[in-house]
Amino acid sequence: MLELFGSLGRYSIGKVGSLGRSAIMLFHSLVGAPNFRKHFPLLVKEIYFIGVQSIIIILVSGLFIGMVLGLQGFNILKDFMATGSLGTLVALAIIRELGPVVTALLFAGRAGSALTAEIGQLKASEQLSALEMMAVDPLRRVIAPRFWAGVISMPLLSILFCVIGIYGGKFVGVDWLGLDDGIYWSAMQGNVDFASDLIPMCIKALVFAIACVWIALFNGYDCKPTSAGISSATTATVVQSSLAVLGLDFVLTALMF
Amino acid sequence: MKYAKTEILVGIFLLISIIGAVVLSLKVAGLVLNGSSNSYVVHARFDNIGSLKLRAPVKIGGVLIGRVEGIRLDEKTLTPVVDLAIDAKYNQLSSESKASIQTAGIIGEQYIGITPGFYDEDLGSTYLKDGDSFTDTGSAIVLEDLIAKFAFGSQDDKKDTSAQD
Amino acid sequence: MNTPSLISIKKLWFSYEGRSIYKDVSLEIPRGKITAILGPSGTGKTTLLRLIGAQLTPQQGEVLFDGINVHKLKRSELYRLRERMSMLFQSGALFQDMTVYENVAYPLFEHTSLPEEIIHSIVMMKLEAVGMRGAYKLYPSELSGGMSRRAALARSIVLDPDLVMYDEPFVGQDPITKGVLVKLISDLNRSLGITSVVVTHDVREILDVAHYVYILAEGQVLGQGTPDEIANSQDARISQFINGDYDGPYAFHLKGSSSYLEDL
Repeated sequence: MLELFGSLGRYSIGKVGSLGRSAIMLFHSLVGAPNFRKHFPLLVKEIYFIGVQSIIIILVSGLFIGMVLGLQGFNILKDFMATGSLGTLVALAIIRELGPVVTALLFAGRAGSALTAEIGQLKASEQLSALEMMAVDPLRRVIAPRFWAGVISMPLLSILFCVIGIYGGKFVGVDWLGLDDGIYWSAMQGNVDFASDLIPMCIKALVFAIACVWIALFNGYDCKPTSAGISSATTATVVQSSLAVLGLDFVLTALMF
Repeated sequence: MKYAKTEILVGIFLLISIIGAVVLSLKVAGLVLNGSSNSYVVHARFDNIGSLKLRAPVKIGGVLIGRVEGIRLDEKTLTPVVDLAIDAKYNQLSSESKASIQTAGIIGEQYIGITPGFYDEDLGSTYLKDGDSFTDTGSAIVLEDLIAKFAFGSQDDKKDTSAQD
Repeated sequence: MNTPSLISIKKLWFSYEGRSIYKDVSLEIPRGKITAILGPSGTGKTTLLRLIGAQLTPQQGEVLFDGINVHKLKRSELYRLRERMSMLFQSGALFQDMTVYENVAYPLFEHTSLPEEIIHSIVMMKLEAVGMRGAYKLYPSELSGGMSRRAALARSIVLDPDLVMYDEPFVGQDPITKGVLVKLISDLNRSLGITSVVVTHDVREILDVAHYVYILAEGQVLGQGTPDEIANSQDARISQFINGDYDGPYAFHLKGSSSYLEDL
């Protein structure tokens, strides 16, 4: 019994310790004036790796999720003679929940794991130490551009997901099942509001982005510099990011809607 | 200056994301860009606003002319007051017009429908300006009240007929 | 400013994850000389270099670099001080996504605002010094181990540091490359006056060029002196290490908790 408490205590102290270290890491990466000449090209490169390379998976998933929503929604709403609300259903479901959440989950799997593995690899091959000894702060040279690139990319990816998802729903509902085009859009416009739906969507996406990128970067930065350490850190990134996104989603939904 | 392939792709990424945001705002949320500067606010006092929400549409004969901008309770009379932001180009609303809370479909959203009143200067009617109030309003129809009225009303009718018999 | 030693380590205690690595180590690294730090594998020689570079912090004791305690500095001051030291990592630690030229030019881009042509000249001079000028276009993945170590050496001297720390430079190299690296270490020391600290267990190579030798084992300084003194030491432990005898004071058999017969 005492052992149980002991191990619980050690586990939680370890967790709190790594939380503290991650906060210190983020703090040191973000303080201080950026040097635009040196840091901007890095940022562009990281947006390419984190954002541009995730576009395909985001667009394909968004399209299919929108189409499934359109199909399921149409069949259910038909029973209530309310297929006119299909646009509202698809748009609200995607904008309020699925857009930011699914984007964040895909992002954690696609970009987050890659970030962790990359940073872990840099650490294992002593490149982070080499930067430190060259008097180049790896937090600002390696961590900070990736952080900003993620925080910029993910809300944009969420927006793309929402657009393509809503068009996916339209494709099924209107072009395939024969709902009127005007009804689809006007029902949506009447019920989706800029200030109370789109802005919260962007806020959610931003919060998820910070959480995912932070988790991914810290796991890479703090991993054991061995191949086993990198692989377990990558797994931890995906698991922790997914849980964090779902948990934060509940909190944010409760706060904003 | 030559740009690398990554830079061009990042530029395209940012551009299509911005286009996506614009599509979401205009086509999905139906955001109208001419903001509050081009509208005037009139008040309407109701007995009951039902489940009217902020930014609900204000319509005349089904045509959107404005949106609900504020809902509050008058502390003295304890009646709900709704602020309607009406597009400035519809500036010929007579003070005799009636604002009533209506429902789109049986279980749809509630909106404010305005029935235009007559305009006769001799009878003292004016056009509504910023800060004016509707004198004639119709409250929301609450389904429970309706059912109750129908139920009790039909009982009354029976009594009446039995009395006649 | 003109203290005879560039680095003095005083009464250093360090343990990592409960394992005690240094117990009261003191040593002096003379300015402008090559100091070799020898010792069996696993005694934490690399850890010593990381302590000097303040990547690790000791539990007790201090490391003075040119009279400055490196572990008492603020983050920004530490980074400024590190511009004066550099380290050649065991793996070379070249950036994999850059060519040799870009790798060597990188510290210049980060720390100076020199125009492109001057950077080009400096980089080419440094590459020439390590005999790698012909390979400036190659990526690290196209280099052999010895070549990437030479490229990394060019990168570590590109800012003309006061101190270069070599972390196991000879590990896994063929005899010719070892010879080249030994020559480079001594040439750079002689021509540029760079203080060099070489951590290694390749005794023969380094005794030829080192000016002073420390032998570390079991967390303590086992012996020190000029290469001649070390080579002729009467201490059985030192001579076992220098001569590479398989048995002696350091037993061939790891000490077990149970006797051999019991385990059978």
